[in-house]
Amino acid sequence: MADAKTLYDAIVAGDTKAALTAARAALDAGVDPVELVSRQMIPAMDEVGRLFACEEYFVPELLLASRAMKGALELVRPLLTASGVEPVGRVVIGTVEGDLHDIGKNLVASMLEGAGFEIIDLGADVPPARFIQAIQEKNADIACLSALLTVTMPAMRGTIEAIRQAGIRDRVKVLVGGAPVTQQYAEEIGADGYSDNASGAVGLVRKLMGISVQPE
Amino acid sequence: MTSRQRLQATLRHEQPDRIPVDFGATGTTGIHVSIVAGLRDYYGLEKRSVKVHEPYQMLGFIEDDLRDAMGLDVEGVFSPKTMFGFPAKEWKPFRLWDRQDILVPVDFNTTTDANGDLLIYPEGDLSAPPSGRMPRGGHFFDTIIRQEAIDEDHLDPAQNLEEFGPISDDDVAHYREAGAYAAASRWGVIAGIPGTYLGDIALVPAPFLKHPKGIRDITEWYVSTRSRRGYIHKMFEKQVEYAFGNLARVHAAAGDGAFDAVFVCGADFGTQTSTFCSVATFRELWQPYYQQINGWIHRNTRWKTFKHSCGAVEKLIPSFIESGFDILNPVQCSASGMDPRHLKRTYGPSLVFWGGGVDTQKTLPFGTPAEVRREVLERCEVFSRDGGFVFSSIHNLQACTPVPNVVAMLDAVREFNQGPTGD
Repeated sequence: MADAKTLYDAIVAGDTKAALTAARAALDAGVDPVELVSRQMIPAMDEVGRLFACEEYFVPELLLASRAMKGALELVRPLLTASGVEPVGRVVIGTVEGDLHDIGKNLVASMLEGAGFEIIDLGADVPPARFIQAIQEKNADIACLSALLTVTMPAMRGTIEAIRQAGIRDRVKVLVGGAPVTQQYAEEIGADGYSDNASGAVGLVRKLMGISVQPE
Repeated sequence: MTSRQRLQATLRHEQPDRIPVDFGATGTTGIHVSIVAGLRDYYGLEKRSVKVHEPYQMLGFIEDDLRDAMGLDVEGVFSPKTMFGFPAKEWKPFRLWDRQDILVPVDFNTTTDANGDLLIYPEGDLSAPPSGRMPRGGHFFDTIIRQEAIDEDHLDPAQNLEEFGPISDDDVAHYREAGAYAAASRWGVIAGIPGTYLGDIALVPAPFLKHPKGIRDITEWYVSTRSRRGYIHKMFEKQVEYAFGNLARVHAAAGDGAFDAVFVCGADFGTQTSTFCSVATFRELWQPYYQQINGWIHRNTRWKTFKHSCGAVEKLIPSFIESGFDILNPVQCSASGMDPRHLKRTYGPSLVFWGGGVDTQKTLPFGTPAEVRREVLERCEVFSRDGGFVFSSIHNLQACTPVPNVVAMLDAVREFNQGPTGD
């Protein structure tokens, strides 16, 4: 497991090259890809989240770790798919209509992906109909709506209302986030949850889906 | 006191006769063109199309009659060119999505894409790739990221310095003319100066350049502050060298008495709840260069130095002060750790707070006039003691802000200024 442990360290250090090397070495050595994800990659991203929460890591370190994780995941994912492994949950994510900002949304998507979720990333400036279509087609458990601007926040309310009118509100949990968004606003527009950072979003999604993290 | 004397006293941390007010003098205390039009209507001023002097954020130009009606004390001298690389002059009509008729610079050239979004072009050159996008129905532009593939082995800091070289003779003439005007102004004056922005994330994508090179993607830049520090140090070293030359030319052209303050840097270091980097990183990567720039300004001019940073930057404020900044904007009191009383008590003797007057994420756009009034009066009470406070909202007045709330804000500042012991 020495190489697999290196993958954990490489992700925490945000070293994509080392993460790729470690992931290849582990797979070549016959390490079970499911084990690689559950015992190395997810714990690594959890550690990154912990370091962010205690302000040892900041946005740049989060971005670097996410890149390293995604690089390794690209190698592992085909093997997971081939072996029929299901993700821990499916998340549709996008920035709401009229808003082009996507850095925060991308960070949340990466952190959730690193936690074992399948991400259906709809990008930015996403109209309500596209959220609804993706939720239905992918049978999503979670919908994450992002907005950076005060002038586009109301589109979150409109999107949640459209999801309700489409008759699928009770089968998907809706999370909101973005600079001007608050817990109070989330409650006002009928969202199921709000987080002010990407790391917190992972914990929130796990909580809403009743997923407990296995202690190492 | 004249408006100018009021601002100058404030910047010296002396108690002025009343709190000076700024809207429209900088790119971070500006007003969206639609709100400028609404205020002109409210105050019954002459009907005229409002000019957009900064197309990126679609900020409207505040003319003297509106400045008087709003009770403002500061006017701005802006950089020779806008964020899209063309000058704000030679106006032409333009119609916004909501059918408001405005005036835009002659080189404000746009096309509409298949999605209905508005695309704008660097230097107004329609043959170049567009550098800004306004979503259909939107209110301002966002930069279009034009990042060439990064070859780590051949990444050269000079590629990120294209916009920071010696300024042109035309630019010097701009400051000479602006300086002559500003020297005689009855209002306080803050000026944008060239090349002192260190890694401002709004400028990194270089929407003013036709074919930007180097690190231009926003995410890539943030990553680089961790993984390519040597590159950024080299870039900042050279940028400061250019800045010294450019500052000397601007200062000589404008004259020492023309400007009361200069907008040194708008790089944001705060999120809603934290900072973008540790204090140690700031002190290693930014502070030495800020010290050089602010040191030059303080040694050679009477200008006060203005630092803009949104977010929860309380932990960085001691470093901002050590960096030589005199003024902090926009003082985002809604962010973690940015309690007004704590800020004023702890940093008030060293720092002028230019902003913090009212929240623009919640209270101003979504609150009632009574809620706006209450918040403004509280902030004035806290920040105005012993001078050192220029009233402005926390960043620009955004589109869709109710004009009655803006008026309630201005009326509340007047009410405070005319308080029981005021004039």
